[in-house]
Amino acid sequence: MLDNNKIGSVMIVGGGVTGMQAALDLADSGYYVYLVEKSGAIGGAMAQLDKTFPTNDCSM
Amino acid sequence: MSFEPKIIAFCCNWCSYAAADLAGISRMQYPHNVRIIRVMCSGMVHPEYVMDALNQGADGVMVLG
Amino acid sequence: MTLSEVTGIAGDAGNFTVTVKEAPRYVDMEKCIACGACTEKCPKKVDSEYDAATGKRKAIFVKYAQAVPLKYQIDAENCIRLKKPGACGFCEKVCDAGAINFNDTEKIHSINVGAVILSPGFEAYDPKPAQVWGYGDFPNVITSLQLERYLSASGPTEGHLVRPSDGKPVNKVAFLQCVGSRDENLCNNGYCSSVCCMYAIKEAVIAKDHVPGLATSIFYMDMRTHGKEFDRYMDRAKNEVGVRFVRCKVNGVEPAGSTGDLRISYVNEQGRQLEEYYDLVVLSVGLQTSKETMALADIAGISLTADKFAATSDFAPVTTSREGIFTCGTFSGPKDIPQSVVEGSAAAAAVSEVLAPARHQLSTEATFPEELDVANEDPRLGVFVCHCGSNIAGVVDVAAVEEYAKSLPNVVYVERNLFSCSQDTQDMIVKRIREQKLNRIVIAACTPRTHEPLFRETLKAAGLNEYLVEMANIRNQNAWVHSDTPAMATAKAKDLVRMAAAKVTYGTSLKNISVPITQKGLVIGGGVAGMTAALNMAEQGFDVHLIERTDVLGGNALHLKHTWSGEHIPGRLGKLIDKVIWNERIVIHKQHEVVGVEGFVGNFRTTIRSREGQTATIEHGVTVVATGGSIYSPDEYGYRRLKKVVNSIEFDKLHELKEKHVSSANTFVFIQCVGSREEDAMYCSKVCCTHSVQTAIRLKKEDPKRNIFILFRDMRTYGQREALYRQARKMGIIFINYELHGKPTVTENGQVLDVEVWDHVLHRPLKIVADMVILASAIRPKDNAKDLAKMLKVPVDGDGFFIEAHAKLRPVDFSTDGMFVAGLAHYPKPMEESVAQALAASSRAATLLSKMAVSLDAIKAIVDEKNCDGCALCVDVCPYKAITLMDRGDESGGKIVAVNVAKCKGCGLCMGTCPKRGVYVAGFTMKQISSQIQAALAV
Repeated sequence: MLDNNKIGSVMIVGGGVTGMQAALDLADSGYYVYLVEKSGAIGGAMAQLDKTFPTNDCSM
Repeated sequence: MSFEPKIIAFCCNWCSYAAADLAGISRMQYPHNVRIIRVMCSGMVHPEYVMDALNQGADGVMVLG
Repeated sequence: MTLSEVTGIAGDAGNFTVTVKEAPRYVDMEKCIACGACTEKCPKKVDSEYDAATGKRKAIFVKYAQAVPLKYQIDAENCIRLKKPGACGFCEKVCDAGAINFNDTEKIHSINVGAVILSPGFEAYDPKPAQVWGYGDFPNVITSLQLERYLSASGPTEGHLVRPSDGKPVNKVAFLQCVGSRDENLCNNGYCSSVCCMYAIKEAVIAKDHVPGLATSIFYMDMRTHGKEFDRYMDRAKNEVGVRFVRCKVNGVEPAGSTGDLRISYVNEQGRQLEEYYDLVVLSVGLQTSKETMALADIAGISLTADKFAATSDFAPVTTSREGIFTCGTFSGPKDIPQSVVEGSAAAAAVSEVLAPARHQLSTEATFPEELDVANEDPRLGVFVCHCGSNIAGVVDVAAVEEYAKSLPNVVYVERNLFSCSQDTQDMIVKRIREQKLNRIVIAACTPRTHEPLFRETLKAAGLNEYLVEMANIRNQNAWVHSDTPAMATAKAKDLVRMAAAKVTYGTSLKNISVPITQKGLVIGGGVAGMTAALNMAEQGFDVHLIERTDVLGGNALHLKHTWSGEHIPGRLGKLIDKVIWNERIVIHKQHEVVGVEGFVGNFRTTIRSREGQTATIEHGVTVVATGGSIYSPDEYGYRRLKKVVNSIEFDKLHELKEKHVSSANTFVFIQCVGSREEDAMYCSKVCCTHSVQTAIRLKKEDPKRNIFILFRDMRTYGQREALYRQARKMGIIFINYELHGKPTVTENGQVLDVEVWDHVLHRPLKIVADMVILASAIRPKDNAKDLAKMLKVPVDGDGFFIEAHAKLRPVDFSTDGMFVAGLAHYPKPMEESVAQALAASSRAATLLSKMAVSLDAIKAIVDEKNCDGCALCVDVCPYKAITLMDRGDESGGKIVAVNVAKCKGCGLCMGTCPKRGVYVAGFTMKQISSQIQAALAV
């Protein structure tokens, strides 16, 4: 059966908040995840923000 | 020296304790006399705790929930 | 995998081989302890990318203070040694860990995966080449991202807002919107970036908070604050905080003399040319796809839209043109954080649909060392005092706190950390626990509400029971709130550490509770969101019950014809309904309503009732609420009274049926924001601007001689929808802006309707003689949403929409575990956002359904058999009905209470009520709290 050839791992390209969310969900539901990030650390643009809208929560 | 009261505040983890955290996030300034004790709900605060605190020298007790 | 890029994707869905190029870091990740000695010694300074060039970094650096992984890296472009062998090399000399490796090389990895998700994000538009804004020429013109760094406590000025040119305090700041957005001439980015309006308002509010008396003005074309709670925030910014909003297009920014001040010239709404002077000008730069990302799209072989975003369907918003490759976030169009997070989960759901047969094939469970039994040991406390960068250490004398902690009873080890939460410190704490044989830990840092779970994991990793940690909240509840009185803050920090130490001394090892999960989902609502969630869960291999109140599936989509991008809704909807009906894992309950809900995550029992009154009970592990919304029925503009005044959905039907009022009409007037963005409904319905523009375009296409007017407050054709707005204007559709205080009026005048509206340009009322008036009516929550919320014990907001657990980071979860929300029930939204949210809900649900059991924390009520005399006072006060009274079952014949730990939430109402100390909450025992009180008052 074709399904047997499926690989239970996923590659996510980009370690911003979106990629991290996808990675967490997949890892939490039984897949092996490779998170590939171009820069030296994950976090993406959100890590640069001071506060977020509309709750003024700290972004970290 | 002027009178500096000691106040014990029992704060619910889900509301007033969270609010106290938020006060920090918003950088609000308030007097430093309060000591917060985190509880899982203000309903958890047994009357004995309040008596305990007052007996041991607290000038005020707040139960926030 | 950091410093890595994809260079090739071969193979097919289910089995890809991806080539990844990993650039050399020149720092051994295993050895680097992130002490920072290298950076201190490095002589080479360059602009920091993280600080958007507002600050400097060295050639050897860490991206930011809380970076993961917290490991240094050398930037080969700027490193003196790497450019010239034999030179410099200071970092290597000072690195005690011996982590520097100048001979590090690029590595190529070939990785076998079943699917690929592309989430490369965006780049901020660079306003320099366009020149008109003076960016790059005048130092006091900065981008919004740079302002974000200036406002940040971890930024180059530690949150002090000063002018880059001379360091003078800023008194007057202007924000210019749509820089690099909605502008085909200067930047070729015709689309709207969707997020700049919101972030500009936020930055203005925060800046005013940093600098009392700061004057802030936002120059904008349309305020696009269409997200949940955004309009309310704008309203507060305008009316309470005093941010000034000016509707105009700014012509340019010029220097005003040599002081560094800037002159802005613009044409106001009345058509007058004006000039204003500012200390600082902030450019609200848009989002765009970078060249690197376009190259990635090329490598992946996926199609892009005209605006250079990944092309997707509105019914499959995370699926690219190549099978097995998915996208999420700003790569598929500009969007805000919540929508990006939603798409992250949605992409996971879409992947899971493809790879479900291979689930658990490669994943492994995290393992922890066996837990040490510390019950019979004397307490040995370790105290870790966090600096949190300067957040704590900038106010509290942390060295004094450290010294003080050493003097406390049972404390055997104390240490300070720059960031106690960083991965390397975690490893260090594990090491210390083992070395020093610590059996109780105090972390003096931020709030346990966010960080306790992390430190519990740390203890587990060290073989210590995870409940033997207590946090002293010396940041949120101390350093941040007493920054004006550092001495007092230090004294309070000592008290807080003493209190935490006292409590944890009496802490005991607790075991988490494992509850089995019923691997079935329940979806309430059979519209697009509900069906999408149900179908995805079913395709992932889980059984689903779908509850629909009416006798048809489809919900609001049954009334719609086209998505914003022109996709035909009835066709796609029909296919979706078919798939749902034919899926053998989905049980559909039409004409059923939810009448009762009990249980908890993994073990819900929901009772449904048919129209005939028959009830049934369903056992399920997760619940998705997708009850939808309905169209608002206005009481203004003569609606219902005048036959030619209809709402947009009614108009679409009349138009489709070629009804004679429509086909013979020559002048059409659309009125926007009917029931939206005003007092009782201070929110934007998000879809109406686009819908009206689309309808207007269709009418005009049919007959170009038709006169079409759209009366609007702010045109909110956000994202790539802007193309429709542009097209409509080109076609000659007339857009007239009105304000809330000057709403249009509609009066019947024989066979026609007189519409009056104030014309800002001509400065007088304008009368339009219309044949038809179309009201863009608001989206309201379903009338029964509040009742359902009560049953589910989940919250709704003042408008009646369900409230998610966290506005940014948990946009589909409820704060109650195992419950999720999607679609219009959460907030008005267009098709692709509903679908994405539904997929996301399914993805979140699958994280539970894919497991056999869920672990609940051990903070639960425990009955003290010796003290409980069965008075049962606690039974009535328990809000979760978790306590029952039963016979002791011994010769005494007495009664005793029992706690269902799965239902117990650990609130301790029982403990507060019990007069006999017969019940207590684990982790918050009488002894623990008493000793905390005692410690608080000890000095």
